[in-house]
Amino acid sequence: MAANAVSNPSQLLPLELVDKCIGSRIHIVMKSDKEIVGTLLGFDDFVNMVLEDVTEFEITPEGRRITKLDQILLNGNNITMLVPGGEGPEV
Amino acid sequence: MSLRKQTPSDFLKQIIGRPVVVKLNSGVDYRGVLACLDGYMNIALEQTEEYVNGQLKNKYGDAFIRGNNGNSYSFRYCTL
Repeated sequence: MAANAVSNPSQLLPLELVDKCIGSRIHIVMKSDKEIVGTLLGFDDFVNMVLEDVTEFEITPEGRRITKLDQILLNGNNITMLVPGGEGPEV
Repeated sequence: MSLRKQTPSDFLKQIIGRPVVVKLNSGVDYRGVLACLDGYMNIALEQTEEYVNGQLKNKYGDAFIRGNNGNSYSFRYCTL
């Protein structure tokens, strides 16, 4: 059976969704109790992400927050979920 | 603010030689000057300080961090 080389045009692939998000805010949920909100500058095939203007949230009973400026490279190994346009655990 | 599209490998080429913070999953921070790194995200730092829970614990002249720690690399352009 020949593989279908052309993807269904009405389908949105996961990495296409991430690509659409470049330049806007994104909320990233990690495998651990940590969430990151930042502006997406770019990513690669492993979903390592380059983010800017980043706020890091540690999900503890206190809801501790760390704000980092400039740019970070977030290793894709521990990412669980991406939420385009998300604001993080607190509004 | 530079908002051009930037992939991780471009980003890494750009920050070699700058002071960085490498944050491991274990919660330990390493602050130093990024000497070099490879495709596995193994990195070499110079003038490294180790922070555990925000407290300075150790100083190393040179440090090698193995890439499989699955960490995040935070690059602050302010002085350490």
